Parts: sequence; C-alpha cells; structure tokens
Amino acid sequence: MRAFVSLWQDSGKFKLGFIITAILVAVALLKQPLLALHLGDINPLREASFPIFLDPSREHPLGTDRFGRDVLGLVFVGLPTSLQVAFMAGGLSTVIGAVVGFVAGYKGGKVDTTLRTITDAFLVIPTLPLIIILAAYSRNLTSFQLALVLAAFSWPFAARTIRSQVLSLRERPYIELAKMTNMSDSQIIVQEVFPNMAPYVAIGFATASVGAAFSLVGLTVLGLAPSNQMDLGTLISLAWGWGVISLGKEWIFAAPVTLLILLFLGLALVQQGMEEFFNPRLRGQS
Amino acid sequence: MASPAPTSITEVPVVDEPGTVNAPRSRKLSPVATYYLRRLGLYLITLWGSLSASFFFFRLMPGDPIGGIIAQLESKGQYSSIARSEELVLFYRREFGLDGSMLEQYIRYFERVVLHFDFGPSVLSYPTPATDLIVRALPWTLGLIGVSTILSWVIGVLLGTLVGWTRKSKISEWVTNVCLVLSHIPSFFVALFLIIWVSYKWGLLPANGAYDNRLSPGWDFEFILSVIRFGTLPVLASVLVGFAGWLIGTRALVVSILGEDFLTYANAKGLTPKRILLSYVLRNAWLPQIASLGIILGSVVNGNVLVERLFRYPGVGNLLVDSVGIKDVNTAQAVVTMFIVLVLTANLIIDLLLPLFDPRVKAAN
Repeated sequence: MRAFVSLWQDSGKFKLGFIITAILVAVALLKQPLLALHLGDINPLREASFPIFLDPSREHPLGTDRFGRDVLGLVFVGLPTSLQVAFMAGGLSTVIGAVVGFVAGYKGGKVDTTLRTITDAFLVIPTLPLIIILAAYSRNLTSFQLALVLAAFSWPFAARTIRSQVLSLRERPYIELAKMTNMSDSQIIVQEVFPNMAPYVAIGFATASVGAAFSLVGLTVLGLAPSNQMDLGTLISLAWGWGVISLGKEWIFAAPVTLLILLFLGLALVQQGMEEFFNPRLRGQS
Repeated sequence: MASPAPTSITEVPVVDEPGTVNAPRSRKLSPVATYYLRRLGLYLITLWGSLSASFFFFRLMPGDPIGGIIAQLESKGQYSSIARSEELVLFYRREFGLDGSMLEQYIRYFERVVLHFDFGPSVLSYPTPATDLIVRALPWTLGLIGVSTILSWVIGVLLGTLVGWTRKSKISEWVTNVCLVLSHIPSFFVALFLIIWVSYKWGLLPANGAYDNRLSPGWDFEFILSVIRFGTLPVLASVLVGFAGWLIGTRALVVSILGEDFLTYANAKGLTPKRILLSYVLRNAWLPQIASLGIILGSVVNGNVLVERLFRYPGVGNLLVDSVGIKDVNTAQAVVTMFIVLVLTANLIIDLLLPLFDPRVKAAN
C-alpha cells in the first residue's frame, strides 16, 4: 500500500494510466445501471428495437446499427466482456509466467537455460496466427476458455519480468540464510522470495494483459470471437462486415476503437510507470 | 507492436554470461567463431522445437480435419455423389498425410517439410499444393513487411536520437508524448482510419488489393506505379505505429548515455555537437536497435495479418485468414511454418551480422 502511494506520487505515467484504466473498469462495472438509465428495460441485444442505421442523436448518442440496436447500448455490453477476457487472460498468464519465471530464476543452470529458450522462442515467434487458428477451430469457447487460449501465448511477457527479478533476489543474504537453515525450495519461494516480488508480479500482470488484449482485439476484429459474444472487437468486425464505410455510417467504429485505444494506453502507462519506479536503472530516462 | 525496448532478449550470449562460454573449447576457437556456433545451434534447436510444437498443435486440434476437408470439397461441388465412403476418407487421409501413427506422421512431416517444403494439397483451391499458394502470396507480404519495417526503423531511430539529444525542448517533449500514444495503437486501427479518411472520404489513394485489377502483372512502369500506389496506405498504417515505438525506445537509449564520461570527454576535446551526435550518440543508439529489430519482427508479422485483411492485400496473412475460414489445415499449417521459419531466420541473420557492426561482440570474452 505504501508502495502504491509513493508510486502514485512519483510517476505521472502510472497516475494517468491508472486513472484511464480505473474509469474503463468503473464503466464496465456500472453496466447494469448505465443500461437501465440509457435504454430502460429494452434488451440492448434485441434486434429491431429501433429503426436501423439512425444517425447519432440525443436519444441515440452513437446512433443505431444494422439490426436496429442502439450502438451505445452495445458498447455498454461489449466493454465489460472485452475487459473481462483481457484481464482474465492477463491473470492466467501471470500465474503461468510466475511459475515459469520463479522456477527458472530460482533453480538456474540447465532448467533456467531450457525455460529461457522456450520463453524467448514464444516471444520471437508470431503467435497471432496460432491463436487465430485455435479460435477458428473451436468456435464454442466460453470466455474463460478464450482467456486460457490467449494466456497460453502471452505468459512469456510475465515470465521474463519475473525471472530477471528472481535472479537478482536469489543472491541476497537472507535467501542464503534461509537455505542454510534447511528450508525447502518451495518454502523459500513462498515465504522469502514472493513477498519481495509483488511489484514485479504486478508489472508482469500489466505486461501480459497488454499482450493478451492485443491478441484478443486482433482475433475479434477478424470476427473470430466465440459465437454470441458481444465485445468491442466483435462490434468493429460486424460494422466492417456491414460495409458501414461505404454507407457513410463509419461513426459506429468511433466508440469501440476509442475505448480499446484507451485500454491499451492505460495498461501500457501503468506498466511503464511501475517499471520505471521499481527499476531504478530506468528512472529519469523519460 | 510492443515498443522495442532496449532490453534485448536474444542478447549476445558472450556479453550475457561472461567467462562461462564453453570455457575449455573457446581456447581453441576464436570468440567470434564460438559465438557463431552457439547462435547457429540455438537456431537449429529453436527451429526444431517450434516446428514440432506446430506439428502437434495441428494434430491435436479439436475436430476431425478430414471430415472438414471432405465437407469443404463437397460444398465446392466435387465428389458430391460418393460422399464419405470409407475409400474416400482413406484416400484423403493418405493425400493429406494423416494416416499412420502419430510418430510416423511426425517423421513424415519433417521429411516432407524440411526436404521438399511440401505441405500437401490445399483445400482453398484443391488440388493446388499449399506451398504454391504461399509462394504466390509471399512476395506481397515480404514487400509490405520489409518496406514498412525498414522505414519505421530508420525514421524512428534517427528521430529518436534527435529527440533524446534535445530532450529539454518543448518540441521534443511534445513529439515524445504523441509517439508514446501512437506506439500503443494497434496498426489495424490506424489502417481503419486511413481507409475511412484517406481512401474513402478524400479519395486520395486506393485501399483495396495490391494493384489495379485492370493491369496485368509485369515489370512495366505502369504496373509498378500501381503497386506503389496500392501499397502506400498499408505501409503507412504499419509505419505510423512502428516508427513511434522505435522513437520511444531509441530516445530512452540516448537519454541513458547522455551523462556518460565519453560524451563529456568528447565535448571537452572540442568536438562539434554535430560530430558528437553523429559518431558518438547515434552509434550507441542504432547498434542496440539492430538487435531489437529481430525481436519485434514477430509482432510486426502479427499486426500485418490484420492490416492485410483490412486492405484485402493478397499476402500470406490474408491467405491464413481465408484458409482458417474454410478449415484448410494444410494451408494454415504451411503459413504458420513459413512465418516461424521466416522470423527465426531473420533473427539468426541479424545476430550473425551483429559482430560486423558491433565491435563489442568481437572484443568480448
């Protein structure tokens, strides 16, 4: 908590990124009241609620879509889904990445070399094609399974951050002491290393979430989201498919694109802010 | 699209673990030769690992590929009468290399892929081999990725050095902040914006395909001009995001060396600021950024898949999405394998060229 306060005071980037992300999360959490306020008891996903392709007006600030649904209503439904999948994938990646990073950094030697080679390969290889194929071949994914697919390819971001930190912690005297007193590896990791790792796990989480969100949006913009899922990328994909550009209705893109850019920016600023704060080598560089 | 941070992951091993590099053998081999051997070995291991992973990835995919393939071929009006006879299934199993045990398939896969670069027939345009489809699409993708990566790198590194050098001025602060935002926007959003405004609203440049359909491909002036016109927006979409990432990364590198003694010394020696900037600062900025070039290539390929899709560019990324759409396993696998080989080989080439540019790699050890 103390770390958070000084991070907040110290890093303008973190502050800005945190505010952006917090607002997005708040809007997502307030989905039900916002929908009720905006549409009353009309189901935002029900077709033919309104005339199709209405231009933005006071009643429909973002207009309506091809099926006569209110676009703002769709955005209220889509934002929480996008955030949920991205953060869930980020969380899962962090768990995988933390395990890999801890084991690699703590064990060292051959284990480290092997795990590092695998991590590096995952980071270098273009993974979006694999994610696209996996998603296309299993269309009935739940959002948790989708998050799992994304996490399977974005954990290396977290693993790299965490490994390098464990490497430096490993040499500290109090770890040596713990080893002398015959504590088991798992005990040392849980009791001695982990408490000092919290900020780096947080950085790993932010980095992995950005990576996962990028893949998620790429996937959904291609129209490969699980069927019946309404999220911001899917909205973009649908609008693209309707040919809204030649119809002159391109404002349908505006809200989902803006919100997703804010999400990427917010997460990236949080991550960079934390990295600069906790890694003194990077401080003052920007 | 992650900004090319100065932290290289394929860091030159010699620098990474001083003294531990094959200690007994390196007495006979020169450090550079050791470095080359190690890097080549790593390349082969990674290549084998990723190709194996991709093989099992496709074999363990949910759903029966043969069922999908037959359904696709049927829907195209071929073989509709003898639907799904045992014989037909067996024929396609053999044709698509799916008969025999997993181990047999695995060995045959490597035999076919490594020796002949043969992935079997495509479904997308059966019976054209999947490899042929890729060979047709590859030049477009290589052109797009090549031109946009080089442009982004050159502009980003030069401007980043300049912005880092003049970091106190209002303009460079402003440029840095704009680029910080730009570098986190996915290139396909920029592509969307360009299509709507530049192409559709203002009608300045085409955004549909790779060349004017009325022309026949050839090396004549008119066709080349058309390729450039049609390629401008896709390249621009990648460059606008890419250069911003390089700028941010380079600026951080430059700022970190500004306080170093050798710059103070160069200044004290009376060298002109221009000389210091070009031969001291820029040199320390572009060398590490060469190493980063390989690392971000994967994300460039990722972004390019979507850019190609939006511009209906006839490249490999578009081919991938098409093939995935109709469950064409062979073509999808060929595309994935090709991307992996491409990116790993590019990384190898960059790392092997590094000692030529960077004397530190040679001197280390």
